[in-house]
Amino acid sequence: MTATTATIGCSSQSKYPSGDLAIWVFILAELLVFGIFFAVYAFARMNNVELFNEFQQHLDLNAALINTWALITSSYFVVRAVAAIKEGNSQLCVRWLLAAIAMGAVFLVVKSGEYAHHFGQGINLSTNSFYMFYLSLTFFHFMHVIMGMVILAAVAIKAHQGGYSASDNTGVHTGASYWHMVDLVWLILFPLVYVMR
Amino acid sequence: MFMYGKHILGIRACTWVYFFLLVLSFITYLVGQLGLGGLEVSLLVLFFALMKGHLVGLYFMGLVRVKGFWHWPVSIWLIIPGVLISIAFYLAN
Repeated sequence: MTATTATIGCSSQSKYPSGDLAIWVFILAELLVFGIFFAVYAFARMNNVELFNEFQQHLDLNAALINTWALITSSYFVVRAVAAIKEGNSQLCVRWLLAAIAMGAVFLVVKSGEYAHHFGQGINLSTNSFYMFYLSLTFFHFMHVIMGMVILAAVAIKAHQGGYSASDNTGVHTGASYWHMVDLVWLILFPLVYVMR
Repeated sequence: MFMYGKHILGIRACTWVYFFLLVLSFITYLVGQLGLGGLEVSLLVLFFALMKGHLVGLYFMGLVRVKGFWHWPVSIWLIIPGVLISIAFYLAN
């Protein structure tokens, strides 16, 4: 099977998503928490529209775009890693996973720069409602990026040791699904916090 | 190219989705850089975000090939917060 025809996710129609079903229960729980946060942010903004609009303009939109592209690219690299292991190519899978982790690191560095800038200006959780939500939401997501990178690293190590094959790769799918969830959450977080006003 | 109806899912489809996600994100960025606001613009940007999330779920997570209950949770997750956010922005404007 060539790289251009390799299938992603399940190899055929299935009743269940690829990866360990337990991770999907975990993913749905995580999405529920983030979904509640998003709704609370939007309704809290209703009472402070001018404040939210004013301080939103102080955020670094360039950094947000770089981070969005970094996570999307990272997710795509994970897709390639899954395709590689489905072809039985462990070492190619490892390289794609390392590339995905590197893009995750880009996200962490850029986001840390943003935090350093804010903290340098004396901004913290109690500065105002907007920054309370901005810092809480983005830091909660930041922690998930770190956790996702740890999971991808564990999968990469096992793949490097030959722990996965074309027929036995549930662990790769499991790690990939979690990482895509991290990307998915940021895709909503980015416009909600940085752009919508 | 995505062949959703035939449930054909491959690297090529995911690559097209990847570039589409980059472009939509850049449009969102431009909206922010130009300082565009208001209900219509916000809802359009939110629609782009929900569409991106849907594509990640279907193609990157592979849910396009899953039928039954597990096909829907990510889509439903996108719709419910999306509706709530839309209502909040509508009421705020």
